[in-house]
Amino acid sequence: MEFWGVNIYYWIIFLPIAGGLLGFIINRLRSEFNFVALVGTLYFAIRIFLKTRGEPIFDNLAQIGSFNFRFYLDNLTGFILLFVAISAFLVWLYSLKAMSKRPRERVFYLYLSLTLAAANAVVLSGNLIFLFIFWNLLVFSLYGMLQVAKGDQDSSFAARKAITIIGVADYALMLGIVILLVTVGDVDFPVAEKLTLSNPWLITSYILIMIGALAKLGTMPLHTWIPESAKVVPASTLAFIPGSIDKLLGVYLLIRVSYFIFDISGSMSLRILLMVIGVVSIVVMALAALMQKDAQRVLAFSTVSQAGYMVLGIGTGMPVAIAGALFHMLNNVLYKSVLFMTVGSVEDRTRTTDLALLGGLGSKMPVTLFAFVIAVLAISGVPPFNGFYSKWMIYQGIISMSNQLPLWFIFLICAMFGSILTLAYSLKLLHAIFLGQKPESLNKVKEARFVMVVPPLVLALACVVFGVFANIVPLKLFVLPSLPFKIGSIGFWSPNLATILIIVGIIIGLIIYLIGTVSKPKKSRVFVGGETLNEDEARVTGIDFYSSITTFDMLDKTYSFSEGGAFDFYNYLQGAARGLAYIFKNVINYIIVGIYRSIGKIVRAMGNLTSFLHTGELYNYVGWIFLGGIILMLLLAL
Amino acid sequence: MIGFDFFLDRFGVFLSALFIFIGLMSFIYALATLKKKGHRLEFYITMLLIVASGIGVALSYNLLLIFICWEISTFALWRAIGFYREKEGLSAASFAFITNFIAASIMLVGFIMLYIDNGTFNIFEIQQYNMVAVVLIMVGILAKSVTLPLHIWLVPAYKAIPSAIGGCLAGIAENLGAVLFLRLFTSSNFIAPPFFTAVAWIAIVSSLLLGGAALLSNRLRSLLAYSTISQLGFILLGFAVGGTYGTIGGLIYILAHALAKSGLFFGVGIIEDMTGKDDLSSLCSVLKISPALGVLMALLAGSIVGFFPMLGFWAKLMVVIGAVAKSTYLGIGAIIAAVFTLLYNWRFYHELFFAKPSCRLSKIKKPSYTALAVVFVLAMVSLLLGIFFYQPINYLTANGGF
Repeated sequence: MEFWGVNIYYWIIFLPIAGGLLGFIINRLRSEFNFVALVGTLYFAIRIFLKTRGEPIFDNLAQIGSFNFRFYLDNLTGFILLFVAISAFLVWLYSLKAMSKRPRERVFYLYLSLTLAAANAVVLSGNLIFLFIFWNLLVFSLYGMLQVAKGDQDSSFAARKAITIIGVADYALMLGIVILLVTVGDVDFPVAEKLTLSNPWLITSYILIMIGALAKLGTMPLHTWIPESAKVVPASTLAFIPGSIDKLLGVYLLIRVSYFIFDISGSMSLRILLMVIGVVSIVVMALAALMQKDAQRVLAFSTVSQAGYMVLGIGTGMPVAIAGALFHMLNNVLYKSVLFMTVGSVEDRTRTTDLALLGGLGSKMPVTLFAFVIAVLAISGVPPFNGFYSKWMIYQGIISMSNQLPLWFIFLICAMFGSILTLAYSLKLLHAIFLGQKPESLNKVKEARFVMVVPPLVLALACVVFGVFANIVPLKLFVLPSLPFKIGSIGFWSPNLATILIIVGIIIGLIIYLIGTVSKPKKSRVFVGGETLNEDEARVTGIDFYSSITTFDMLDKTYSFSEGGAFDFYNYLQGAARGLAYIFKNVINYIIVGIYRSIGKIVRAMGNLTSFLHTGELYNYVGWIFLGGIILMLLLAL
Repeated sequence: MIGFDFFLDRFGVFLSALFIFIGLMSFIYALATLKKKGHRLEFYITMLLIVASGIGVALSYNLLLIFICWEISTFALWRAIGFYREKEGLSAASFAFITNFIAASIMLVGFIMLYIDNGTFNIFEIQQYNMVAVVLIMVGILAKSVTLPLHIWLVPAYKAIPSAIGGCLAGIAENLGAVLFLRLFTSSNFIAPPFFTAVAWIAIVSSLLLGGAALLSNRLRSLLAYSTISQLGFILLGFAVGGTYGTIGGLIYILAHALAKSGLFFGVGIIEDMTGKDDLSSLCSVLKISPALGVLMALLAGSIVGFFPMLGFWAKLMVVIGAVAKSTYLGIGAIIAAVFTLLYNWRFYHELFFAKPSCRLSKIKKPSYTALAVVFVLAMVSLLLGIFFYQPINYLTANGGF
């Protein structure tokens, strides 16, 4: 597969790097270089995607020391590569205006290209070591990207938190891969025979690699860098990294290691571990999202919650659910990007993402509202949008585990509860930003700029298409071929019938609404504490939708704990490290320095003794000489 | 017994090239920044002596000759540490000298025992390794390569030494112990394996404990010192586990660490010259003063932590593979030490460049551009060697070395 004589794999890795570097150095032509790089990447991704519809492709690159570098492309590779390229292109398009005239936008595009190149290399790699090299590069590029802050805020602490958490997970991944390398000998794809998890070292290796993948994916407990950075980082970064790339790559690694290298369908405990992690992420993060007051933070927690669905699906071990997890990953990329981008558009116009300061923008930004509503319905799992389909597949997988796992219904209930909560916080977001009363300060807000409106609309349209024509487009083309096993029938889904039924349902609902005794809302003057408040001061924002939850003492305390960072892995890590460090430092100081001091004291004592013996009087010395002589003669005589 | 017993093999040439390069960088940096305080001639002689002794140890196969070069470097360090004749500097120099000298004398006894057993000082011909002799030699090695428990001399030494020679200390003089270990002991068939396991664990414990100390310390120079001790633990670990990955990994680690640590030392020197402060608590937000230094030190710190595409990534990966190949618990220990490395390095970098963004530093002098250029070269070499990592690795593995 060549282009201008060079193999396409090199193009798809080096073109973004070249474009990014050139664009960074020659600032005036930055957009042009990046455009070429991203469109080129998209083109190559499409070519690779089409090529991989047949047999998998391997290609050995080099052998250095005993590191074997090879590429491996199968259906899964082509699928993920395609959506990485699409996502990068749309985020770039969006950023053209979203990031313009922001501080450090030059560096932003450099890191964007670097991340894209590294992501491509990760997906193309045919060997765990090769994958690890570029996974590691992603840590650095993530750090760089997170250093680009939103306005004049300082994002360096969030960047530090991210690099610490992801770095530690990276080390775990390294250890896992190295243990595998040493135990099994080579870690090339495709693995001739999938490893079973019999040996405790193999299990350790799997868990370590899983930790690496989960940290990237952003599930609990390694997720805290996402909400932390959501406060201070622009929407484009959030749409690209935690929204799309991390999910794509995290699920990619997780599926590779769970079903391509190892085969965890045999190990119930590992699957339960994955399912528990998934379910806890779903529910806890959705609960956290309910109480947030900043739009980007709501979306950040939502991202972690959705990642939980993917892990849950993969953990079930049922082909339907695994396909559902892959499909959910794809859908998440779509609707999550819409959500982040639309919130970014709002922020671009209003300069704030604080829910208390927003409201009633629906009339001013109708197109953005439209995309947002579609994304909200999709993320909540409302048919006929795509979210419904993927969640349904995951639920089906859980149900089919009923004979293996006695407590399966707990997982099902938690997942469905999570879905309800998703709808809850999404509606809160919708109301707080677009519906409700508009504050005075936002009277002059216009619709988002064209370049910022197009990518969300495209993605929203994709949500609809992928949902209505789920069997034809995404599943058949993308998801199902990527799995190493066949799936039975998924169920009976007739897009036409479902769409007609839903439209009929909406029409009936509208009729009921209009016929009913709904009149215009009453207006009255507000008289509080001796003063009349005008409309703006008396405005009801959307942030207190669910504050009745805080009447439960325990939940309230849990919320304030977690906002204060009590469940934050980063804090535990720092705390543990500092604690250990304190112990170490004291060990060193007391024991070792103590030993040195004692040696010093002994030496000084000896010195004092000998200087004491040197009295300076001749007769003493003569006495010592005679004494020594007598002893010597005695020794010689014996 | 002793003659002009030098030989050229790939490991030796590799190390010598590295030492000369570090010496050259230190020289350029010194030209730019050494304050005009008397005895500059002594400075350059000392620097040359350190480089020469390093090359001597790397290229020699006669134990007595190695000992002579070792002691030359101890002497040179003594002069270098006490360069600014301040009180703490002089006591730090004496402490360093005494510790190293006594340890080297003990090591000499070990050498003599080997001579008595084998009749020769030639490394290639020594077959009988008396365990007592080995332990005595290890004392010298531990002192020179700053491993627990003989590491204490380094912290005051780093505080007193001028930053120009600090690069030499970090990049050359400290590696001599590991080089001797490589020559004499690594992958040797004549020594019982428990010895290597013991040395490996000593190295890991040293790395962990001192990494912890680095996490808590606030003075820049002390941080660098603890960091060096911690990284030297990795190097010794690599040589102790042996095998292809361990040995080559250890050598690459020497390379990566020498480049990165000298770079960081020079960077810290630049910051001290610019602001007059050397304490994390009184420095803040250095990024605003010198963004270039921020980027460069990020690259160098990244090399120490082990991020691709810096050379340190390959070094750490190979050492960890070697460690796991010997025993998975060693690998786990190495990874925990690596986590500590990440934590303290990033704390150092973050606190130095980003913390307290609202504070203003007073009395900023302009940095010397030559000095910045030196740091830039070191960072770029780390980056390029990391990307084209097959160059050094292929060179080292081409005909085996030793």
